[in-house]
Amino acid sequence: MTKQETILDKMQKIDRRILYWVLFIGLMIPFVSPLGLPVAVTPSTVDLYKELTKVKTGEVIIINLAFGVSAWSECLPATVASTKLLFKQGAKIIFLGVHYDVDLTWAKIKDQVPAFKTLTYGKNYVYLGFYTGGEATVARLATSIRTVFPTDADKKSLDEIEMMKNVNVAKDIKLVLSSDTGDWCDYYIRQWRVPYGTPVGEIGIAMLGSSYMPHYQAGILFGMTVGVRGGAELEKLIGELGEATVTMDSINISHVMAIVAIGLANLGYAATVKRGGK
Amino acid sequence: MAYPTALLDVIGLWTAWLMMMLSYSYPLWKENHGFRFAEFTFVSTMLAINLIVAISNVMRVAITPMTKGEWSYIIPIVLGFAMYTMLFSRYRWISRYPVAILVGIGFGLGMRGVLIPSVLTQVIATITPPKVGDPMSWLNFAYIAIGTICSVMYFLLTYEHKGVLRYPTRLGRWIIMIGLGAYFGNTILFRFSMLAGRAQFFLQVLKIIPL
Amino acid sequence: MSTLLKREVVYLITGVVAVTMFIDFFFFPKGWDVASTLQTWAMIIGNIALGLGAVRLLLFYGKQVQKRTVGVWHYSVWLIVYFFICLITGLAGYITLGHQDKNPIYYWNFTNVYTPLGQALYAMTGFYIFSAAYRAFRARNIDAALLLIAGCFTLLTNAPIGEVIWVQIPVIGRWFLDIGQVPGMRTFMIAGAFGLLAYGFRALLGKEKGFYAEVGGQ
Repeated sequence: MTKQETILDKMQKIDRRILYWVLFIGLMIPFVSPLGLPVAVTPSTVDLYKELTKVKTGEVIIINLAFGVSAWSECLPATVASTKLLFKQGAKIIFLGVHYDVDLTWAKIKDQVPAFKTLTYGKNYVYLGFYTGGEATVARLATSIRTVFPTDADKKSLDEIEMMKNVNVAKDIKLVLSSDTGDWCDYYIRQWRVPYGTPVGEIGIAMLGSSYMPHYQAGILFGMTVGVRGGAELEKLIGELGEATVTMDSINISHVMAIVAIGLANLGYAATVKRGGK
Repeated sequence: MAYPTALLDVIGLWTAWLMMMLSYSYPLWKENHGFRFAEFTFVSTMLAINLIVAISNVMRVAITPMTKGEWSYIIPIVLGFAMYTMLFSRYRWISRYPVAILVGIGFGLGMRGVLIPSVLTQVIATITPPKVGDPMSWLNFAYIAIGTICSVMYFLLTYEHKGVLRYPTRLGRWIIMIGLGAYFGNTILFRFSMLAGRAQFFLQVLKIIPL
Repeated sequence: MSTLLKREVVYLITGVVAVTMFIDFFFFPKGWDVASTLQTWAMIIGNIALGLGAVRLLLFYGKQVQKRTVGVWHYSVWLIVYFFICLITGLAGYITLGHQDKNPIYYWNFTNVYTPLGQALYAMTGFYIFSAAYRAFRARNIDAALLLIAGCFTLLTNAPIGEVIWVQIPVIGRWFLDIGQVPGMRTFMIAGAFGLLAYGFRALLGKEKGFYAEVGGQ
């Protein structure tokens, strides 16, 4: 005798393509009709912001672009916001990256930070380009930037670049901001923070917000932003709302949909268990 | 950024849109030739970019400094190219030498650097009581201290969790689940934000929202 | 002699290089030239080895074409052809203009083909995690229930809409994110560190042959 299927049973068997379409369309709606909900700022982002506001004019910062084009939505907004803030502080920034599409990321950052139009390359900022070799390279970078980067990305010798004249080792760097999707912050912690005491901050994907929370709580990291939400928080703190804030509306809808999906799944499961199934 | 007007830029924008839709034709519809075409196109461009960046970086970091006087670089350059003997079964053993250096340095750097931030500092942070005296801080401190001890017991103790070990390890397991739950929540934020970026791009190319 | 060169000497090099890093860290606070030189060598070797993956994959797809593997070989032909188009245009830009991005065809391909494909393919996992949430995330027992509760509060805390639904959601969710997850994540960190140390000691002593097995064929 066949069991009559309830609506919950039918919902368990729904074609996954319907779910995908519902999600894709759901993500689009807030871009057309924004909700505009305010974003509360978390302590880790506040600490990152406070540390960056302590940077003095002329101090040299490294921003490690360890994210590719696929993670732009997560890491780029916070990186852009940090860059804007650091330029306001008068800092000199060294940009370098570990993905082979770092040139595109660099172009995007230049496009989104208006300060680049008024600042001078070589005097206020420098782009060193791509580097690889993992932790060994990060360790070597701490003892000799010129060995890892004999020239900048445009093949100009570092000795000819004004802001790099007295900058070659970890002690010449005020702090490191690692914007990454994986292990690169760990390398900077192990090879810069521990041996030389260079402060390290993290601008990472959301998952790294969990992985690096113990480091932040223990004081190893001076601050961190968590994914696109961290980007929205940093935009709010610097007073210039941008892409992350726009994306948060879409995140609102998608997260509610995820909760509804989990709720329905468990409802169906509970009903099945009640009827004596598995 | 304004919507492009130059023909090549407009073609580029629509090509990007098409590539995205071909990729999504698989989850949103079914496996098809368009998706396979997009997939293989991505792999081919990725390989080419990888190789070009590798060549330009080797020139910048190794070959050019060597020609300018750093003659000692010839050793790692030869070792680096020795890695390619991996492709020939008869000479594959030669590639063990550069791998040995990479493995030795990887472990050396990792092992020397991991103790302080990942063990010592974490233990100190776990057992350090709060400076502020409010009850919530003390409760959190107790949770973290007891939770970390129990979780480490669950994770590291390899003998059977019975008798006096049963309850602490069970508690440790629950606390690990809480950690994994938060990680799961953050994972969803990560995945959805990437997809939201693509949804935004979809609308921007169709001029439903500004670029 | 053959075994000595293919095995023992290799393990010795691994051990000596690793010990050099330790000596540098503990006895030379200002840095040791020997260790710095080895790090430079590793950096150069890593850079040169970057192309190895690309070469291997090309050989793989070349074999698919050779074997006429059904359902794959046509695409493999396209892959190899398009690879050479990208490679030639990129190298032309690098050699003649100083940087590969200066070649307009290469740059157009990089921004309008590679970038959107990369973004789209990585973002596709969002679909799968959504369907997984719908089908698989069930509170079958206490462990799963705890995971789901923590996960749901985290989700609604990361999204500002959580506060609109219930004012206490961000408060509870913040606790999960700032305090609740710390013991678990700290455990993974400590266990991972011990694992690295144990694995590293095995590699130093030549007990860990996994790195060389495929390389040496034994």
